[in-house]
This record gives sequence, structure tokens and C-alpha cells, in this order.
Amino acid sequence: MRQRTERFTTIARRELQNGLSQTFLSLLPPGFRALRAMGMSSFPDPDAAVEYARAIRASVVARLPELLEEFERRALALGAKVIWTRTALQANEIILDLARERGATYITKSKSMLSEETGLGEHLRKGGVEPFETDLGEFITQLLGRPPFHIVGPAINVPPEEIRDAFLAGAGLKESTTDPVRLGLAARLFLRDKFKHLKMGVVGVNMAVASTGTIINVENEGNIRMIKSSPPTVVALMSPEKVVPSLSDAMHLLRILSRNCTGQKITSYVSLDSGPKRDSEIDGPAELFIVIVDNGRSEIYQDPLWREALRCIRCGACLNTCPVYTKIGGYPYGFAYSGPMGQVLNPLLLGLADTRDLYQACTLCGACREVCPAGIDHPALLLSYRARAASDWHGPQAARVLLRRSLATLLAFAMTHPRLWNLGIKLTRPLFNLAARDGYIHTLPGAQGWFACRDLPAVPEKTFRERWRQDHGQ
Amino acid sequence: MASDTRGRILDALRTATRRPPAPRPVLPEPPELTLDRPQMIARFEGELSAQTGVVLRAADEGEVLRHLTATAHAENLATVMASTDSALAPLDLKAWGQANAVRVHTAADFADRETFRAACFGAQAGITGADFAIAETGTLGIIFHTDQPRLISIAPPVHIAVVPIERLVATYEQAIDQVFRDKSSPPSQFCFITGPSASADIQATAFKGMHGPRKLIVILVG
Repeated sequence: MRQRTERFTTIARRELQNGLSQTFLSLLPPGFRALRAMGMSSFPDPDAAVEYARAIRASVVARLPELLEEFERRALALGAKVIWTRTALQANEIILDLARERGATYITKSKSMLSEETGLGEHLRKGGVEPFETDLGEFITQLLGRPPFHIVGPAINVPPEEIRDAFLAGAGLKESTTDPVRLGLAARLFLRDKFKHLKMGVVGVNMAVASTGTIINVENEGNIRMIKSSPPTVVALMSPEKVVPSLSDAMHLLRILSRNCTGQKITSYVSLDSGPKRDSEIDGPAELFIVIVDNGRSEIYQDPLWREALRCIRCGACLNTCPVYTKIGGYPYGFAYSGPMGQVLNPLLLGLADTRDLYQACTLCGACREVCPAGIDHPALLLSYRARAASDWHGPQAARVLLRRSLATLLAFAMTHPRLWNLGIKLTRPLFNLAARDGYIHTLPGAQGWFACRDLPAVPEKTFRERWRQDHGQ
Repeated sequence: MASDTRGRILDALRTATRRPPAPRPVLPEPPELTLDRPQMIARFEGELSAQTGVVLRAADEGEVLRHLTATAHAENLATVMASTDSALAPLDLKAWGQANAVRVHTAADFADRETFRAACFGAQAGITGADFAIAETGTLGIIFHTDQPRLISIAPPVHIAVVPIERLVATYEQAIDQVFRDKSSPPSQFCFITGPSASADIQATAFKGMHGPRKLIVILVG
């Protein structure tokens, strides 16, 4: 996927002015909180259920190589073909070759964040194999050439008029309509024809069960079941950390995943595939390829703190609760993953140098950590990226430390002398506002670094104490 | 080259400094385990109805066929695809079809995948058995095999599932334990189905019938 993480601030500013994005985003936190709470209330002890899920994900990260080997051994015994790839490009090339060898002029895809990460669609198209996204939201973003706005609803913020125009141009929509249901039906008809003649399909993987060699997909739309039923060849794309120890762990994570994703107790469809179809079966894939894509994860794994990011199960709960994501939406993050999961994963996958805004754009409030059913400590990870990056920045450390200390001494003296402090802030307030534009201070001389990824609201004319005195007398 | 890649990834993971995971905390038993059969049926009906699934009860095969006839009229069914699994065997659906002007196809009528899948996409309804009705969330569990092809329950716009009442279980685990009892030969696919296919990807407007069935009808027998 083309990476635009360096444009974080620009795109965030633009999205703050986008009325449609703002309307959707303002409804997200209360709506999600209510749905999630309702879903979680069916557990006898919701907190214990979350703790158990976190423990499962901790054991996955701790036992990753052993679980992968066990999964591979079982999957091979069932007749699946397991292919390991180190890079996104290797995975893309292997899948393109598989499609070409089978004479497929097109493939259908399910929504897979990993395939967004590897840029599979673009690679296939350049190689002459047309990739059709089949998740409705992804189908729309693909037609519009946009990144996903949200992991669960990639096009949820797109106005129906834009969808109508895109469908009239590229999805065989006959009658002009902005009705979401009729637009959905148009996509259904268009993609049914693709499913019907499909030679090869590509799906992601939600869980890969080590003890049985089974891959599990979770969905509502039925596109994944179509892809795993209709064509003779199926490719399942997974990153190593998708593996889980056992079926009973998978069942618990299934309950947790759907409740933390959409608030559902379970999605419409959950399909568990153990190898390709048996010879006597008339449908299902005769060939099942499981492509394990490392793409830097075995390096991330070397750092005991950073490897904890691999606990993520892609539920999206952190997006829905993040005060930053719910202001700016998914576009600014500039890569496959957005919100807190993107702030944690993108810097590891793309490097700290190109993703600075991502790990700076966080108040460390911890809402993501609190909701995360996988037990990721997002703030701790972001702080470690900041620390690592800070040690690489700017001039000599000693001079910076000295400057900070003198500033701190000066401030401490003022703060312990109220008259001096009050006089000081009285005098400096108008100076701050000299730099204000549109009600915000975007930078101040000498503090460009601090303002690189932050704004301050303009300082009000009167201090709190002055206003209090004015409103309440002395 | 391929095996070398595998080795390099696994070696990198294996040689990293690791600590064993902390012991698992206690997970309370699912409360569904205490439900008796009437409670399980009520739970199944309630949960599936909430997803717009229709749950019908039938005392015997005759009543199942009467439900099918009523559904065929209501949905204007002229062509259906049926599986041949054990839950449907006592119904003789081909004879039922002849009596009710409904063409009933099964996989055996087709020589290959191509003609079979074309017929599945052309059918107005799919009739299947189901191996489990799971009370927990009003969920069907279907094992796919030679007599239970996958497309019948996903390609046609209506899915009718016939489930003998003794296949009712409380939780996912109770179904999964049976499905994977023989680890060396599990079914090629097992699927949980909870309601019709659905999407809410445009303007968060929810609707049924995205890619799979827009309607799910479950007939509990016995």
C-alpha cells in the first residue's frame, strides 16, 4: 500500500473541516460504547472474559514460533499448502503467479488488512489480474481509489451521491439511486457474476488454530463464504500472529472479537476450514494455499516490548474510543492501519523516521489500552517510539538537557512566587496571541519542535482568576 | 528458497529472548450450560429472531413438508437446490417438489462444479439440514461434506435449514468438540450461521441480503 504517513497533519486539518466525516465520527464513541456494553453484558463476568482473552493473546506472542510450526504441521497433514514469505513483494508475486498459472484473468478478495499492508491489489492489477474487493465498504473504496476510513466500515463516511456516481461508472448500476439498500443490491448483482465464474479467490484469516491446522474467517456479508465455496483455488493470507493455540481459545476470542468489533455477539458467518475440499465434494477449493507473510514481524519480535504490538486482533475497538481518531478519522494515518492500532503498528512496519506524527499524535490518555481486548499497552509502546526517536534527533544531548534544566529552574521560581507568576502570565498572554490564527496558535519562536504536531487554542483575554473575580466578586 | 525463508523466519522468532507466558486466569463457565431444553429452544428462537431469522417448529416430517409448501408459496419458489444430508433424507424432497410444482435439484443432478455452481446461483432457495442449533446466540452449525455442499446455503437468496431438535446444544464449544472429535479427519469446512447475510457499510444503514441469503428460515423438528 502506498504510504502517506508524512501527510498526517495536512490531512488531519482537512478532515477536521469535513462535515460528513465529523458527523459520523461524533456518533461513533457513544454508539460503539453502548453496543459493546450490551454485547459484553452477556458474559457472566465481562472483565474476566477480557482478561482471559488478553491471556490468550499473551500466550500467542510468547509461544509464536512453536504455535506456527504446530499449525503448519497440522495444515499440511490436512492437505493445505503452506507458503512462507519474508516480504510483501514476495507474497504478492507468489499470489500473482498462482493466478496466472490457473489462467485467472481476475480474482475476488475479501477484506484483509494484511493485503492492504502488502498492496496486493495494486500488484495484481499491474500484473494483468484484475482484483475485485468484495466487502461492500472495500468495494466502494476500491472504486473511489481511497484508503479505508475505518477498519470495520472502510467507506462508512462516503456520501451516497459519490457511491452512486462510482457505481454508475464502474459497477453496472442501471438506475440512479442514493438509497443505501439499492446501492448494496447493485454491488451484490455485480459481484455475484464474479463469484459465479471465479477461478481463484483470496481471503484473509482471522485466526489460525495451531492444534488442528484450521483457518477461521469472521464476516457478516457472505463474501468470504462465497470465495471459500465457489472457486477451485483459494489463497488465504495471514501474518504469523494470527495463530491461536486451540479451538477453545478460538471460540473465546470469537466471542470477544465480534463484541469488540461491532457489538454483535457473533457475526452472521464464521467459517472454519481444515484443508482443501475432499475429493468427493462438488464445491469448495481443490487447492488451499496458506501464505504466511512476515513483512518485518520477526524483526519486531526481537524487541520484548515492541513484540506486544503483535497481540492485536484487528477488532477496531481502540479506534472507536480514541479521542484523536474520533476527531480526524482514518485518512490521516496514511497506511493500512488507523487509530491507536495504526499508531502502534505503522511505525514498526514502516520505520520510526517516516511515521513521527503517528506516535506523537497521542495524549497518552489510555482509552485504547483500557478497551483493548488483546491487552496492548499502546501508551507504553508510543512512549518507547518517542524515546527511541528522541535519541536520534537534533544536536548535542548535553546542551538540550542544560537548556531544559535552566527553563525548569526559572519556572519553578516563578511558580513559587504568586505575584511574580501572575505578573508574568499577564504580560506574556498577549505575546502568545500575536501568533494566533483562526483561534489557534500553530507555532511559537523557539518551540517549533513542540508545535510540529500540536496546536494550542488561542489564549483568552482574561485569566480564570480575573473572570472569577468579575463574575463572583471578591 | 521457500524452505530457507521459513527457516529464517522461525529461527529469528526462536532465538529472540522470551519469557514464558503468565498462567491463564480463571474463566467463569458459560451460563448457557445450565439451560434446560425448553430454555435452550427459547434462547435459540429469541437470538435468531433478533437477527431476522425465522424459527418454525414441526412435530414430524409431515409438518416440515407443510412448512416448506407454505414457504414455497410465500416466496414464489419454482427452483430450489437441496442437499442430501441425513436431516433431509426422510423428507423425499423430490416427491414433494413434484407435488408442489417446485423443481428440486441436488448435487447428484450435476456432472461437475461448473454446472452445479451455475444452478446454485440460479436457484431461488437452498434447503439444507444443519448439524447443530446452538442456543447461545441462535446459531446454526453446519458441517460441509459430499452430501452437504457449501454453495446451497450461501448462493440462493433464501436459505431453509431443517434441524432435528436433538441437535440442539448450548454453546459453540459443545458443537466444536463433536465436529473436531477426530483430529486427523475434521470436515473440510464447518460454519456457524447466525441470521441472513448482512451489511451496514453505506451510511451505517443495516440491511440483509448482501452477498448471501436475505432470508433464513430454520425448521426445528421434534
